[in-house]
Amino acid sequence: MLMVFMLTILSIVTFLLFNAVPTDPARLTCGKTCSPATIEANRIRLGLDQPLITQYLEWIKGIFAGRTYGSGTATFNCDAPCLGYSFRNGEQVTDMIVTSLPVTIYLALGAFVLWMVGGISTGIYAARKKGKWQDRAIMGVTLVGYSLPVFFIGILMLIFVVVRWNILPYPSYVGPNVDTLQFLQTMILPWISLAILYAAYYTRLTRSQMLDTMSEDYIRTARAKGLPEKIVLRKHALRAGLTPIVTSAGLDLAGLLGGAVITEYIFGLPGLGRLAIGAVTEYDLPTITATTLVAATFVIVANIVVDLLYAAIDPRVRLQ
Amino acid sequence: MNKTTNIRFGVGVASVALLLSACSSKSDNNSQSGTAGGTLYILTAAEQILHLDPQRNYTGEDLAFASGFLNRTLTQYAMTKDNNAASQIQADLATDTGTASDGGKTWEFTLRDGVKWEDGKPVTCADVAYGVSRTFATDVITDGPTYAISLLDIPKADGVSEYPGPYKASAAQQTLFDKAVVCDGNKLTFNLGAPTADFNYAVTLSAFAPVRKDADTGERYDDSVLSNGPYKIASYVKNSKLVLVRNDQWSKDTDPIRPAFPDSIEYVFSIAQPLLTQRLMKDSGKDAMAISPDGVDPTQLAVIFGDAKYTNRRLNDYDPYVRYIAINTKKVPNVKHRQAMLAALNRADLRKIAGGKYAGDDADGVVKPNIGQDYAATGLWDGLLGEAIPDTGNVALAKKLIAESGEKFPNPIVFDYGQSPTADKSASAIVAAMARAGIVVKPNPIEVGAYYGVVLDPAKQGSLSAGGWGPDWSNASTVLPELFTPGGGFNLSQFDDKAFTAESDAAKAIADRVEQAAAWQALNVKAAELALVIPTRFGKEQRIQGSMVQGAYIWGPYGSYPYGALSVSQ
Amino acid sequence: MARKNNDVLEVPQSVTVTVGRTLTQIAWLRLRRDRVAKVCMAILIFIAFIAIFAPLICNVLKIDPYEFNSALLSDDGGLPSGRFGGVSLAHPLGIEPLTGRDILARLLYGSRISLFIAVTATAITVVTGVVIGILAGNSRGRLDTFLSRVMDITLAFPLLLVIIAMSPVLEQRIASFGIPEGNSSRIVTLILVLSVFGWPYLARLIRGQVLSLREREFVEAAISIGSSNRRILFKELLPNLWGPILIYTTIALPGLIGAEATLAFLGISVLPPTATWGSMLQESVSYFSVDPFYFFVPLTMLLAAVLSFNLLGDALRDALDPKAGRM
Repeated sequence: MLMVFMLTILSIVTFLLFNAVPTDPARLTCGKTCSPATIEANRIRLGLDQPLITQYLEWIKGIFAGRTYGSGTATFNCDAPCLGYSFRNGEQVTDMIVTSLPVTIYLALGAFVLWMVGGISTGIYAARKKGKWQDRAIMGVTLVGYSLPVFFIGILMLIFVVVRWNILPYPSYVGPNVDTLQFLQTMILPWISLAILYAAYYTRLTRSQMLDTMSEDYIRTARAKGLPEKIVLRKHALRAGLTPIVTSAGLDLAGLLGGAVITEYIFGLPGLGRLAIGAVTEYDLPTITATTLVAATFVIVANIVVDLLYAAIDPRVRLQ
Repeated sequence: MNKTTNIRFGVGVASVALLLSACSSKSDNNSQSGTAGGTLYILTAAEQILHLDPQRNYTGEDLAFASGFLNRTLTQYAMTKDNNAASQIQADLATDTGTASDGGKTWEFTLRDGVKWEDGKPVTCADVAYGVSRTFATDVITDGPTYAISLLDIPKADGVSEYPGPYKASAAQQTLFDKAVVCDGNKLTFNLGAPTADFNYAVTLSAFAPVRKDADTGERYDDSVLSNGPYKIASYVKNSKLVLVRNDQWSKDTDPIRPAFPDSIEYVFSIAQPLLTQRLMKDSGKDAMAISPDGVDPTQLAVIFGDAKYTNRRLNDYDPYVRYIAINTKKVPNVKHRQAMLAALNRADLRKIAGGKYAGDDADGVVKPNIGQDYAATGLWDGLLGEAIPDTGNVALAKKLIAESGEKFPNPIVFDYGQSPTADKSASAIVAAMARAGIVVKPNPIEVGAYYGVVLDPAKQGSLSAGGWGPDWSNASTVLPELFTPGGGFNLSQFDDKAFTAESDAAKAIADRVEQAAAWQALNVKAAELALVIPTRFGKEQRIQGSMVQGAYIWGPYGSYPYGALSVSQ
Repeated sequence: MARKNNDVLEVPQSVTVTVGRTLTQIAWLRLRRDRVAKVCMAILIFIAFIAIFAPLICNVLKIDPYEFNSALLSDDGGLPSGRFGGVSLAHPLGIEPLTGRDILARLLYGSRISLFIAVTATAITVVTGVVIGILAGNSRGRLDTFLSRVMDITLAFPLLLVIIAMSPVLEQRIASFGIPEGNSSRIVTLILVLSVFGWPYLARLIRGQVLSLREREFVEAAISIGSSNRRILFKELLPNLWGPILIYTTIALPGLIGAEATLAFLGISVLPPTATWGSMLQESVSYFSVDPFYFFVPLTMLLAAVLSFNLLGDALRDALDPKAGRM
């Protein structure tokens, strides 16, 4: 219910925001010989002649019942769930999202697994070696890791791994079921470059959580009971320290599922982020609105899932 | 002339340039050599081909691609490296290059027998007529050239044709079109509104290509073009790739133009931009069989042209365009002020920013030498404005001109340009150069996709606008009136001068070609003297392709690869 | 615990704050004993110094950020003649390809803009975040629900897209409020869009702090003796919020410097010919293979600033952490 409410608000805000763009999309689709009549025809074709509220309702109707585009004998249907028709791309927005979403999902999930495994294990290691040189080294490296501008790691990896050292072929996306090897060769660098950025943060987060919970009373109790250090670490410290990590992980994953704009851009991955950025630069309103909404939906869903997980993991939350 | 976006170089114009140096219409078969078979790869950073729909396609590169592989037209240019020969049209779908009568008001073409669509049905005269009629449906068929609307004898009211296109025409409206484009068996007759001596050149545009009514999907025909050329679409996923395979219904016997060497074509989209050129340079694996329409990454120019190992893989040739900065005469009405800007500009800086010797040559007007007889040096930089202006500018002259004008310079003036890193630097150079003469320029970078929407809107256009233009015909009638008269389609200078327009109209009507050329040359000098634009460069373009690609050159008529003639060695 | 989920940067940034009692003096003492923190402070002061005195330094060195030196470039692609991107006595850090502008001068002037944007945006973020956070935490009830929803919705947006799409609109609006069009309105736009990122995170954090502080004995005591709302706010709550605010600031600043660079990478930056670290980085990255020196100059500067801020933030957090071992 809350989700439906949030999504409705979001869709309205998105719709209003992007319709405030001053450039006239009808003018943009009109070439050199652009008479006022042609612009007007274009405006009607794009549905921009109607009041905003009608445009919004039409759009909502399209999502649930589909709608019809075009005029005369050149009409065509956009079946539900119809998120609109991109006249610039000549494609239904729903189709565009359906083709680009898997790319983004592969990218986000691959990177997610890498950074969670890498970040948490390094974080635990650093916590156990607190104050020693290993801890300091890890903290230093991770600090550099997240100080770097986002595009930097990706570009540098491309230049060295692909251009200079010839370790991997040039990235060229194909689906995993089409050519698994090429898929992996293309995805490995984007995965790593995203994972480096996030792992740096998760390492630090895990370390500080571990250190925090290690000083809690119940850990001291557990130790006092004579439990082996490993059990203390795994059953008690890690579990309690997990909550904020889960929260972060959920939101980060959701954010990435909405499109890792820069990484997709650098590696030429045809995902949601690239779709969105292309739509934004070309003022393709239906596509902008739809991609924004999809991205926002991921975040809202993630928020709810995280809340549920929160209760499931943290013993203190469960007790209350 | 259409505009499109060229993000890499920041010059916002790429258009169909139909450069014809002679009006011969003999169709001799030039022998093209190449290896049959294999796959040709085309790599681009773009997400899709702008338009494959023949009536909507209007960019040089895409036209060359589509007419080489998918859409045949009544006439077409020869695919040859020699610019003179390439500018001559040959019969393609028609049996000859057309016959004019009634002083050029009526044109007749006879269709070739045995040409088939990919599903085996014959290409008929009705298909061509239907294709032409689609241009009129301006609410569905956008972006394409509108020559059919302006040339055919169909009444217009306020510039809008009374025929609304095939999708929603009433029977009466359809009759209007059917009277202008008449089919009689294999014979196709076009009735034009005014004598047009070069109409058979206009039909090289795929806007005059056939489309079969039962295959027309309107808006969405862009993705599912029914082919009558040597290849057909096997699959097309935007953002990913377009695959063409041989069209088994096409026969070499009915096509004198296309050698059709490769077995298939793969057009790969969304290639990571920063490294596209370096990928082609490396030439490994399938990339050896690849070309790219995107042009060379400017940072790699010195490497590619400095190393002998790229000798056979690199191209450096004139493109069809003149680059210039249009001066809005409504906002800078004083001619001395405009001349002062010409004198103040540092063209040498601009050329360096665009890549030094790879950028092209210093331009002295909007007519480019490769147009043929309509070009003559204007002497713009050699004293036409009173003193010589070296390529670094003549600041003293600029100050003198402003002083002579009797008015204060209308500072500050806004410079519109399509944003790109290169264009940003050019803008800075312009700001710096103009400042030397006390002219304050405010750069106004505009999102490339929105650029023409802004500058073609008089309410939003600034005082200076970056532009580029190439002729549609080898006649300056497709340049000077287009750029400098109120009826022109690309009058960024907002120039509306009765005397100039009258002279331009008079020149258009001159029947004697030599006399006409002299008139255009005089008018070009006049435009230069009036400082309607600051001409900056006669542009060049550079490309690199894989080592196994054969027959690559810059094809004059479209300023593109000669797609239909390319082959890959095995 | 709060976090800055930053899809703009695709970089998560931790704001793991554990607030303790006001132990300002202890914290300051700890900080002064921290060698790393001292080095960072020195670097940051140095950067601020060269940014503030950029015109003076350029005058002394006789370099100009906007002057074209195309004579120093080869005609063969416009690359700088000479080693290390044209490093010479006249141009200590070399010249820019294609234009020949002095890189050191551009870097110095660029520092001014980059730092100005980051500092101002941080200030706006912090003030907005604190005010809204206190408002929400202190009022509870409907206002709290409303503000929390606004935060949720703001956070759910893919902000990068909104920023790219909205920047031109926003800039026009700003210009229509009388701020000169061109670079002034562009810089204000950048500052505003960058501020939009951050405030909900800080507001959430502050709201949580206020909620828990209100349950604490000393605030309950103050309420019970009938202190005014105002007094409670300024005398009881605010002093206890300085810790998280300070830590957030040291984390937000480098984040915003990076965000400016990221936006520049996507083409949203100040108008040319003005430079920022981000715009220089964005331009130089394509020259990496032919003129790497050009790329390393702005990168080094940006990294030095961002790293110093982050390290300082770390040190500050340790210093303010009551649970950390007493030194």
